[in-house]
Amino acid sequence: MRECKIVSRKFDIPGSHTLEVSKAHGGYRTLAKMDEYSPLEIIEIIRESKLRGKGGGGSPASAKWTLMPQENDKNGKSDKPSFLAVNCDESEPGTFKDRQIISKDPHLLIEGILITCYAIKAKHAYIYIRGEYKQFQDILQFAIDEAYEDGLLDHCDITVHRGAGAYICGEKSALLESMEGKRGHPRLKPKHKEPEWFFDNPILVNNVETIASVPFIIQNGADAYKAYGTEHSPGTLLFAMSGHVNNPGVYEAEYGTSMMAYINHFGGGIRNAKKLKAVIPGGASTDVLTAQEAECATLDYETLRSMKSALGTGGMIVMDEDTCMVTVLKNLLEFYHEESCGQCTPCREGTGWTDKLVGKILDKRGTKEDIEKLLEIADTMNGKTICVFAPAVATVIKSFVSKFRDEFEVAV
Amino acid sequence: MSEEIDIVIDSKTYHAKEGSLLIDLLIKEKIKVPYFCYHESLGPDGNCRMCMVEIEGQKRPQIACDTFIEPNMEVRSTGKTIEKVRTDILELELINHPVDCPTCDQAGECSLQEYYMDYGLHEAKVSISDKVKHKKHVDLGSNVILDQERCVLCARCTRFTDKITHTHELGIIGRGDDARVSTMPGRKLDNPYAMNVVDLCPVGALTSKDFRFVQRVWFLQTVNSICHGCAKGCNIFIDHNRVKYQDDVIYRFRPRRNDEVNGFFICDEGRLSYKALQENRQETALLQGKEIREEEAIQEAQTLIQKYKDNISVVIDANLYSEEIEAILRFAKKINASVHSPLDVYIEESFKDDMLRSAHRAANYKTIEALHIDTHEPKSSGLLINFNHPQNFNAAAHIDFLTHQRDVPSLVFPIADYTENSGTLTNEDGILQKCEKAISRNLPIPTVIEILLKVKV
Repeated sequence: MRECKIVSRKFDIPGSHTLEVSKAHGGYRTLAKMDEYSPLEIIEIIRESKLRGKGGGGSPASAKWTLMPQENDKNGKSDKPSFLAVNCDESEPGTFKDRQIISKDPHLLIEGILITCYAIKAKHAYIYIRGEYKQFQDILQFAIDEAYEDGLLDHCDITVHRGAGAYICGEKSALLESMEGKRGHPRLKPKHKEPEWFFDNPILVNNVETIASVPFIIQNGADAYKAYGTEHSPGTLLFAMSGHVNNPGVYEAEYGTSMMAYINHFGGGIRNAKKLKAVIPGGASTDVLTAQEAECATLDYETLRSMKSALGTGGMIVMDEDTCMVTVLKNLLEFYHEESCGQCTPCREGTGWTDKLVGKILDKRGTKEDIEKLLEIADTMNGKTICVFAPAVATVIKSFVSKFRDEFEVAV
Repeated sequence: MSEEIDIVIDSKTYHAKEGSLLIDLLIKEKIKVPYFCYHESLGPDGNCRMCMVEIEGQKRPQIACDTFIEPNMEVRSTGKTIEKVRTDILELELINHPVDCPTCDQAGECSLQEYYMDYGLHEAKVSISDKVKHKKHVDLGSNVILDQERCVLCARCTRFTDKITHTHELGIIGRGDDARVSTMPGRKLDNPYAMNVVDLCPVGALTSKDFRFVQRVWFLQTVNSICHGCAKGCNIFIDHNRVKYQDDVIYRFRPRRNDEVNGFFICDEGRLSYKALQENRQETALLQGKEIREEEAIQEAQTLIQKYKDNISVVIDANLYSEEIEAILRFAKKINASVHSPLDVYIEESFKDDMLRSAHRAANYKTIEALHIDTHEPKSSGLLINFNHPQNFNAAAHIDFLTHQRDVPSLVFPIADYTENSGTLTNEDGILQKCEKAISRNLPIPTVIEILLKVKV
């Protein structure tokens, strides 16, 4: 397997979170390179690199960047200041890559923020960090303070905004509502393409890893980035692995890597020499894959979509043959039940009801009708809400019940 | 954007403004569409997901409250897909609902009940013990009681305090099915328009302390009227009921939509003004505090008018209907009396706000002005005839026409108040409005005009 360290290059260097070590290993050198380009040229390089958003959706990063007003815009929006929000509300079960970046190489993120702000003409960036990440926030804040002292942030401010611990605030519009001091509820989607709005000002919201990938691309060019990965999913991702593997953790790999090769190479295979049963490929909200499906899966957006799942955040949850899939689904539904923001009816009521139904099945109090009802509720939850929370829960339920139906039927 | 275009709904063509909300058109054209969270005064929120319609070219049903009308749009508001979606979402809406309709004041005017009859009719699949339990009786303040279990979390009430009154007392706390409406920490619902949230609430979650457990809504009769609390002339519904052999009673005032005047709302003081109306009514004629028959009173009045001829002043309340004021003017002319309606007494600057409340606390003062009636106090005169004006004036003798009891040692005629009579008013913006008669008493109290017709001068 080809080693590729784009974002994780400095992770293993002792003291990599400090400015001194970072600079000694090439940190912030891209800022000089950045000055050679105009903001529009930077965006063009990002577009050419086909950099995809690494927060889970996987849409091209440049699509959002180009929506940000540049000075020559005549749509009247240019008189408003632009902002950047870095989404570090990493709460997806099985996903723990962003915290590696902010704790191991926060200066890479700051460098990425400076380049992004230059490209979108923003003078202020916010990092929305998950409330539970206090210790990582402290490291990040230390790095920001160092950068301020060094004069790196003379023309661009960075503020860390700590969330209050709601999963939904990872959804970009809920994140902005939360940052505006309101309850973290996703907003109604705009009908036409437009930037997100922060107190009525245009704002770009990107994942931590997306921004941290920017310095490499600007330094080495779009082609160097495209040398990794597949045609449509170029580059690398900090894939994470948890569950029944020997070496759980975060390892950077290029898109298109075979899932089993990744699990065996980095994860050291399944724990206790057990057989693989299932893999949730990209954070809890992606459809579960059976062992057979995992055998043919490669880690890129297109392949996993063709398998009716998704790459998501690339956080794999690996389960061995002893795992009870009803228990796993119950565990996940408890999470969704707890975390549904409660705005839309199907999600608010559906997550609770499905949780209770699976609990009933697990307690051996369930009936066959309960399994059918479970699927019926999943149908109602799919595609009828403001954000994609409920649809994700719906497809997770469906994938568990359809792929492991025998286990559910034994339980009733 | 504001061009009128044609759109097709259920194979029929309608005209609508391009870019306007589809749900507004559906409501205007009375095409059945269920919804909880949308309200014309609050705009779309998109949380209840009930107003789903099919739009040609879109693979999934869309909510009408977040769909803007476009050219060549084709909408289906009925059909199997839509009915199924509405049924399924309604079922979810009801799984944690306590279904305590028999003790719920909203029963009979509840959106949940209505939609259940339209789209639900399914059997309950969640046992009572599995339902989420919340508080049944939370006193929010300002006469509003919250039942968290009945709430559908449409957020109309919280949006009302955010967008309309800007007082921000209410919010939603908790997540998922633990979400519930609450007042912000350390606060109470406390603003002059607070009770409008009871009308906004589509279900029985917010009820008025004043109306709770008092009447079943299906017993109430409703008439259109105008609030007499100030010169704004807010349009109201009077809900009243006459139980057999008993007197007709008003149970509540509710705001009636009028975009020109009050929009959707009324203030709490106006809403509760029905209470004082029904207390201490002047029901019989009096002479020096002693009850007399109407004929005797008329006789006495004729004597007084004769005695003080050419030395009579008439004072008119600026809350009377225009028709009554004109009748009084004609009467005054006949007896050669000077006519006054001092308006200073009605001014209450502290009552005024920038929403609906006016400092002029007289419903028809514009008519007094338009008729050029003297707004100064009458000079001391021989006989003073007071038509329910709140002030008392010095005079050798008095005749008082009163709706409500007042401590005056004179000749008193009882007169019908505005709910017992119909007529017109001109509000402070010059808009002419009509009140219908709501109350029919077992022993009717005559109107001003009826009495004046009997007085022979």
